[in-house]
Formats: sequence, C-alpha cells, structure tokens
Amino acid sequence: MPDVIINAQAPLPYGSGQRNLLEFLEQHQQPVNFHCREGFCGACRCKLLSGEVRYLQEPLAFVRRGEFLPCCSVPLSTISIEIPK
Amino acid sequence: MAYTTFNRNINDQLKEPMFFGHAVNVSRYDQQKYPIFEKLIEKQLSFFWRPEEIDVSKDRIDFQQLPEHEKHIFLSNLKYQTLLDSVQGRSPNMALLPIVSIPELETWIETWAFSETIHSRSYTHIVRNISAEPHKVFDDIMLNEKILDRAQDVTRYYDALIDGINLYQRCGEGVHNINGKTETITLRELKKRLYLCVMSVNVLEAIRFYVSFACSFAFAERELMEGNAKIIRLIARDEALHLTGTQHILNIMASGDDDPEMAEIARECEDEAYAIFMLAAEQEKDWAAYLFKDGSMIGLNKDILCQYVEYITNSRMQAVGLKPRFATTQNPIPWINTWLVSDNVQVAPQESEISSYLVGQIDNEVDSDEFGDFDL
Repeated sequence: MPDVIINAQAPLPYGSGQRNLLEFLEQHQQPVNFHCREGFCGACRCKLLSGEVRYLQEPLAFVRRGEFLPCCSVPLSTISIEIPK
Repeated sequence: MAYTTFNRNINDQLKEPMFFGHAVNVSRYDQQKYPIFEKLIEKQLSFFWRPEEIDVSKDRIDFQQLPEHEKHIFLSNLKYQTLLDSVQGRSPNMALLPIVSIPELETWIETWAFSETIHSRSYTHIVRNISAEPHKVFDDIMLNEKILDRAQDVTRYYDALIDGINLYQRCGEGVHNINGKTETITLRELKKRLYLCVMSVNVLEAIRFYVSFACSFAFAERELMEGNAKIIRLIARDEALHLTGTQHILNIMASGDDDPEMAEIARECEDEAYAIFMLAAEQEKDWAAYLFKDGSMIGLNKDILCQYVEYITNSRMQAVGLKPRFATTQNPIPWINTWLVSDNVQVAPQESEISSYLVGQIDNEVDSDEFGDFDL
C-alpha cells in the first residue's frame, strides 16, 4: 500500500476507501482548494515532490512539471506532496 | 498582411505559431499542434445548456421579499455579470480570430465565445422573470458609473489589440500617416498587446467572474434565488473551462516553444502582468464596497468578499506562474466550492433539485443477456 507524505509530515497510508487523492486529503482534514473535481479547472493543483501518480482521467487543466491534480489521480508509489498555501 | 478568410498558401499547420503565422485555411483536426484545444472544445460541447431549461419562477417570489439593500446587491451583481459576458461574447472573436494561425485554437475561440453568448441570454431570462420592467435593469448598465468604470479596464486591452491589428493588417509594420495622424506599429508591439490582452481576459474570467459567483451563491446558501444559482452554476462550470483555456495559451506563450519572441515578451511584461492582477483585485474590492453600501447579507459582507478577492487572486496568479501577493491563504467562504463542483461528479446537497443532465446521450452498450427472453 503506497504512503502519502504531505508537507513533509509523517506518512499516511493510502487506503482503498477513496476514489482519488483529493478525497484522501479531505479525509485527513488537509486544506486543499477545489472546484470542478473533474480535472478541468486546476484549482486543486499540488506539488509532487517525489513518487508517481496515475491519472484516472487525463486532466484538461494546465499542469506544470512537478505538479499534479489530486482530484483525478491515485498514487502509483509512495508519494511526497506539497499543498500550496 | 491583410486577413484572408481562406489563405491559399500551402503551409504546414503544425509549424505555425498559435498567433501571427499564416491565416488558417483548412479547418482540419486530423493533425493538431496543441490537442488540448480540441479537448476543451469537446468538453465545452458536452456542457451545452439553454437558459430556458432552468425554472426560475420561484425566484420571482424570493426577489419580491428581499429587503431593498439585498435587491441592490442582487441586481448590481447581475448587471455586472451582464457587462462581463457582453464583452466576452464578442471580443475573443473580434480580437483573436484575425490573428490565430492553427485550426484547433481557432475553433476553440469560436466555441468559447459562443458559450458566452448563452450566458448573456440567460441574464435576460433571469431579469425577465424577476422584474416586470426588465428594460430598467439593462438600461441602467449604460448609466451606472460603477459599472462603466470597470468596463473601461475590462475592454482596454482588447481594444488596443484590435486597433493595432487593424493598422498592421492594412498597412504592415512601420510608421503610417492615417488621416493626418502618425501611427506606428510593429509586430513585436502587437505581440505584446496580445499577451497583455490574454492576461487581462484571464483575470476577467478567473477573478472578476468568481467574485460575482460568490454573491449569487450567497443568496442560494439561504435557499433564496435558487433558479438563478442553478444558472450561475452552469455559467461557472463554463468559465472554469474558459480560464483553463487562457491559462494554456499564456503558459504556451511563456514557454517559448511556440514562438520564442512571445517568451521574451512574457518576461518583459511580468511587471505589467502583476499590475493587471493587482488592479483587478483593487477594483473588485471597491465593487464589494458598492454592493454592500446599504448593508450586508447573512453569510457575506464587504470584508468577507474582499478576503475572497485576495484569496482567489493569489490562487490565479500562481496558476499562470506569478507569485501570490496577498497574505490571505484561507478561503473565507469555503461553501462556494460545493457550488463549483462539476455536475457529473456530485450535486450540491443544498440544491433544491438536481440539474445534472446530458443532452443527446445514448447508451450504446447492449449485452447479449438483454435478448434472453426473446423467442423466435
């Protein structure tokens, strides 16, 4: 089971109960911005510091290298991410 | 240099820059330089809706019962939204179609502007329903100084670009004597006007619209004007897509892969880009003061809306590679997000009735089990 490291804190195991990383972050009370939850608005953009994610659907929003959209992705490996302030 | 509706030069469209290359000839999508624009077109088409589909009859009763200062908030907000979509329904076409050089982007611009015309029609649908004298609402847009002030900054970058394109396409680069006046235009200057124009459109769609959405949804949070909120939800879903479009254009420009000169211009214009964002934020705060001049409403007041302006400005600046400039890091109205979720995923629980629907969807999956009780 891959772990998710958020803002360099203790790793949290990514369970099977969430449909995507945004739901996972919300379940752990992480303050992530969101609008569409479908990958086209880009409001939930976060930094992917290490590890890999898999997109459930290809995002339409602009995603820079080193960023990812939690609303339409799941972790492929243990990932370390940073939620923008 | 003059624009032609069907450029006869045989060119490789994959080698054209987004803007200021050859005019587009064949509208073909079998090969695409930037497939993202076709994906945006498809998404936009899947979003298609008509204002008449949404029942706003209950809003009439709600509106009549609003206290005067809330009527002022509701109507002023609607007038401002009408102004923004009046501009957006025509300007992307007028400014960008004469200079675009790749077919998928050309079609995206047309699809984008078309959807803004639906928004304009929906404001009339709302106003006709809540007022016996809709003309008074619309007539006031051209008389209201607060709105006209803002129209100035919403349109000046479009107008400067269109003016430059007219001169360039008629006379080419250089110093020209037009009706006794000396005018100078260079391609580089035009590219600069284009970059600033797209940046200001991004600000319009990413900040100005969202401030107005906050006001619309604040009524609906109290179960008032819910028909209006349902329409604004559909508009907000479209706008999220449009601003993704302008963010892509800006980021492609800044990357320099498309047109190296555009990347230089993006760097050169950084201070002006910051200024466009900061000025828009200031204007939206002034607008908040005007909206709430006679009193606040439950859930929203001048200070909260100003904090939201700062919050959303920060987030939009980061999306186009700028640094946030405000100290606000928390969304002061987190409830707005529930209204901005795309329909396909989740329906806002506070909504009076479900508005998720798709037009013209056919299920083509037929399993052999379906024929189980067939006898021949």
